[in-house]
Amino acid sequence: MATAAAMPMSREASNYDEISMQQSLMFSDSLKDLKNLRTQLYSAAEYFELSYTNDDQKQMVVETLKDYAIKALVNTVDHLGSVTYKVNDLLDEKVDEVSGTELRVSCIEQVWSDYFNYFVGETMHGANRTKSKYIGCSLDDEDDWHQFRNAVRATIRETPTSSVRETPTPSVRRGRSPSPSPRPPQRSATFSFTSTMPKKELEKRTVSPHRFPLLRSGSVSRPTTPNKSRPTTPTSAGARRRYPSEPRKSASMRIQPEKESPKDIEQFPSKSKRLLKALLSRRKSKKDEMLYTYLDEY
Amino acid sequence: MARAGGITNAVNVGIAVQADWENREFISHISLNVRRLFEFLVQFEATTKSKLASLNEKLDTLERRLELLEVQVGTASANPSLFST
Repeated sequence: MATAAAMPMSREASNYDEISMQQSLMFSDSLKDLKNLRTQLYSAAEYFELSYTNDDQKQMVVETLKDYAIKALVNTVDHLGSVTYKVNDLLDEKVDEVSGTELRVSCIEQVWSDYFNYFVGETMHGANRTKSKYIGCSLDDEDDWHQFRNAVRATIRETPTSSVRETPTPSVRRGRSPSPSPRPPQRSATFSFTSTMPKKELEKRTVSPHRFPLLRSGSVSRPTTPNKSRPTTPTSAGARRRYPSEPRKSASMRIQPEKESPKDIEQFPSKSKRLLKALLSRRKSKKDEMLYTYLDEY
Repeated sequence: MARAGGITNAVNVGIAVQADWENREFISHISLNVRRLFEFLVQFEATTKSKLASLNEKLDTLERRLELLEVQVGTASANPSLFST
């Protein structure tokens, strides 16, 4: 296929070369004829002069001279017209080629200037450009930008398996600051939530290795498990006292799910497991106590 | 006889004058056409010179632009740190 496609191209090219070669040959022949026409006219003039002076039939010589002059003039005009047309055509072709070359050079200059401005501009204003990337992500203010930068630094410093922090509130702030969507309303919601959290809960949350869970629906479905199991448990008040789920419930039942903390979302499985274990153990001990009292009565 | 010969000579002179005027007319036509041809050649020379001058100017401009581009590309290739992202 490639050879078949290349064959017409080569044929066209060869035809174009042949045509141009023929045209150039014809042009050179025309120029040679024009050069020879001058010598022919001079020799013809000498011949007719001699004939007019030596021959008796002068009128016939004059008529022949007239015919020759007319033919020579017509032939000269024809030659000159052909040559001038070819010269004009060649000049126009060269002007078109130069115009096309100018256009291509202009395109190259444009591409080069864009290329140069892009790289040199990026080198000169790289920091500003990096910052401007984040301006579209609601980092309009300088404070937001600094907070985001500090958050990124904190994210780089912190590891998911970090140790338990001493003070709960600053640790939670540091842990929440590298949130993927650092918006001020989220921070306010987080602060209100963390302020209601007990110290024990916060310490347990910091132990959680999964800081950024992806499934948000778990935060809505998880609290339903202890709520469903709560009416079946006879000592739900004690369990509630030992594992206070009210702040967590109030936080998880909010309609704005994007304001929830990722740590809260991740904390529910372990919490619910512990709650179920505690309830079961409590129920078991309660059952044992009831059994013992029943046996004592009887 | 002399009178008839005079008339014949007059007729011949008249014919010769007419032929001479015809020849002059023919020569004037030929010279006029040659002059037109010369004028055409002069005009063609002027237009061709003008076209060649504009072409030369364009080629000079193109040569300068290409030289500038060559210098810029050479400078950029000499400093590749500018183009490292």
